[in-house]
This record gives sequence, C-alpha cells and structure tokens, in this order.
Amino acid sequence: MKVTLKVFRYNPETDQRPRYDIFHLEADPNDRVLDLLEKVKAEHDGSLAYRRSCAHGVCGSDGMRINGRNRLACKTLVKDVGTTIVVEPMLGLPVQKDLIVDMEPFFEAYRKVMPWFINNDPPPEKERLQTPEERARFDDTTKCILCACCTTSCPVFWADGSYFGPAAIVNAHRFIFDSRDQAAAERLSILAQEEGVWRCRTSFNCTEACPREIQITKAIAEVKRAIITGRLD
Amino acid sequence: MASRHPALEGYTRYRAVGQLAFLLHRITGLGILLFLVIHIIDTSFVYFAPELYDEAIQIYRSIPFMIGEIFLVWSVFYHGFNGIRIIIFDLWKPEWWEKDIAVKSVYWTLALSILAWLPAAYIMGRAIIENHFMGG
Ligand code: HEM
Ligand code: SF4
Ligand code: SF4
Ligand code: FES
Repeated sequence: MKVTLKVFRYNPETDQRPRYDIFHLEADPNDRVLDLLEKVKAEHDGSLAYRRSCAHGVCGSDGMRINGRNRLACKTLVKDVGTTIVVEPMLGLPVQKDLIVDMEPFFEAYRKVMPWFINNDPPPEKERLQTPEERARFDDTTKCILCACCTTSCPVFWADGSYFGPAAIVNAHRFIFDSRDQAAAERLSILAQEEGVWRCRTSFNCTEACPREIQITKAIAEVKRAIITGRLD
Repeated sequence: MASRHPALEGYTRYRAVGQLAFLLHRITGLGILLFLVIHIIDTSFVYFAPELYDEAIQIYRSIPFMIGEIFLVWSVFYHGFNGIRIIIFDLWKPEWWEKDIAVKSVYWTLALSILAWLPAAYIMGRAIIENHFMGG
C-alpha cells in the first residue's frame, strides 16, 4: 500500500521555524511507523533525527505524537493509523532536533519522587518476603518504561511544566504501595506539594496514551486517596 | 503548525477522549462564571444606577441573549454532571478511572447533559418564538 508520511522537522540551531517534510512511501500494512522512519532515514533523508533502541516496545525511547496521539513508533502498525501519517515530537518538552525532545525535565520530576527501594532494616538472610496479594497491589505500576507518552499528553503538564506529571506519580505509586518499602509517607508528602497530584485534572489523556496500558489515572486517584486518608489499603 | 505554546497546540490538536471532557468542563465552567459576573453587575444597577437597570433587562430579552441563555443552561447541566462524575470517580471509585470505563463515562455524561437539557431548551425556545414572533 502507498502511505504519505508527514514528518515534523526542526533544528533549533539553524531553522527559524519548524516545517513538515512529506514522504510518499510503499509500505506493508503490518509495517510499524518506526519502519517508515527507518526507511526515510536510510533511503530519503539521512538527516532525520529520532530516538529508538530496542524497536520492540521495551526501552521507551521512541515515544512521539502519531496522528495527534502519543504512541511508541515501534508499537504502532501502519494499518492501525491509516495511509496518511503525521509524526510529531511529544508536546511540552523542548525539541532538540526533529522528533527528539529534551527528556531532562521529565527525569528531573521522576527523581523527585525517590523512585528507588527504601528499607533501612538490616537485610534478611534471603529475600524480603511479600504475599502474592501484597505484590499484586502495585503490579500495574511496575510496568512503566519511562517513555514519557503520558506526561507529554497531559493538559496540565503542557500548561505548566513544573507539574511532576503522571509518569513520576506512577513510579511513586510503585513504591508507596510496596509493603516492603518504608518511605511511603515521605513520598506522599512530596506528592502533596504544589507541583504534585492535586494538579491532576483527571482528564485521563495519560491513561489513553500509555503504551503499557497502565491505569495511570486510577493510580493517581489512589495516591490522592492515600494522602487524604493516610492509609495505604 | 507547531506553536511555541504546547498547551494551545495540545488543546486544539491532541486527540483523546478524556481531553474532550476536560475542555468542555473548563469552557462551561468559565462560561457560567462569565455569566454570573455579568449578572451580578447588572443586578447591582438596581442600587447604583436604576436607569441602566431597565436597559439591562431589555438586553436580557433580546434574541441573541436568550439563545445564549439556552446554551448557558446546557453548560450548567454539563458542568454539573461532569463535576459529579469526577467527584464520584476520584473520591469513591478510583477503579472506574480504568480506560474503558472512563472513556464510556465521558460519552454517557455528554448524553445525559443533552437529555436533561432538551426539555429546558424546548421551553426556552418556545418562549423566544412566542415573545418575539407571535406578538406576545
Ligand atoms: C452544579 C454544580 C457544580 C459542580 C458539581 C461543579 C463541579 C466542579 C468540579 C468537580 C470541578 C473540578 C474539576 C477538575 O478537577 O478538573 C470544577 C471546576 C470548575 N468549576 Fe465547577 N461545579 C459546579 C458549578 C460551577 C459554577 C456555578 C461555576 C461558575 C461560577 C463553576 C466554575 C468552575 C470553573 C471555572 C472550574 C475550573 C475548570 C478547570 O480547572 O478546568 N462551577 N467544578
Ligand atoms: S489524568 Fe491527570 S495526570 Fe493524567 S493526563 Fe489527566 S491531568 Fe494529566
Ligand atoms: S506510565 Fe506508561 S506512558 Fe507513562 S512513562 Fe510509563 S510506560 Fe510511558
Ligand atoms: S524503540 Fe524501544 S520502545 Fe520503541
């Protein structure tokens, strides 16, 4: 099938303003949008810039806006998005070149929620035990690959980049509800700050965008509830 | 074109169901607020400038204003229903934020607000016609 690929191009060092380049390509319906970008880069324009690494939906490096929605290019089939495909960088993070955005503000918010295991008790002989139910409590939020599709789909984040954003809250949730972790109260007080969960307007753009199908808005609501009640059930 | 304002570009060009409810809630909320402010000002004329008050009342009876009021009623219904949806989900049923339920709830809220609004729209529309076109 023939597809028209319209790609956002911008080099802040040389370009006055962004432009869109149009490529007419021959594609298989089962090709992924990433395959089209690889084809453009190999055969049409080697200067096209985008990130990708695993090409199988695990590394989280090729989040981008495809036909107006955030997705991973390596997980999006041509047949699912149609024959005219518009590819643009994620919104709300500075464009470095073409489809590459500066992820540093995103990771800065991520680091603020202390996304690592905290338990100051002396380590047991073997592992720290946990029941299957306790493990299931935070299973959903362990799946995050830090692709930023959620945070850069969030209307609140677009308007004000100081909002921690859904990805940071998802990763806080992963530890807050882990029975082995001891820093839940500290993380909850961080998330109760001005840039934290109360900024969320529950539009669930994030949940719609997550390529890992994490129920993000639900996780955020659980964090809000834990802050209000002080309970972690 | 990619604008330098991510919010503006996002609100107008990003495609998501949840955002529809978010935008409608914000627009209707601001619309109601605007109307309320105007209404407080014109009512205060009774005290501060009685001669202007009658003029203000005349404006309320003009066709564009009455049509605007019909949409105001929808705004109140939509904003109210959607506000209640958010409150129920957020405070009581976080599990309803799961994608499929949440997407459906946006459409249900929209349908409900239109259903509740239709009778009022009918009565108000009839009043416009009677007052302005039937010598009422
Ligand atoms: C019918 C009763 C009402 C209910 C149940 C209600 C509910 C809500 C809720 C739950 C929110 C927060 C939404 C969010 O978290 O994103 C909200 C926001 C808002 N409401 Fe209302 N509201 C009502 C009446 C009004 C009235 C009368 C006005 C105008 C004077 C108004 C103006 C606003 C505005 C401007 C916002 C902010 C919207 C935003 O941040 O996008 N609301 N309302
Ligand atoms: S649910 Fe909250 S965090 Fe998710 S997109 Fe909406 S406002 Fe942003
Ligand atoms: S929560 Fe989902 S969308 Fe957000 S960064 Fe993690 S994997 Fe990506
Ligand atoms: S390239 Fe790794 S997730 Fe797409």
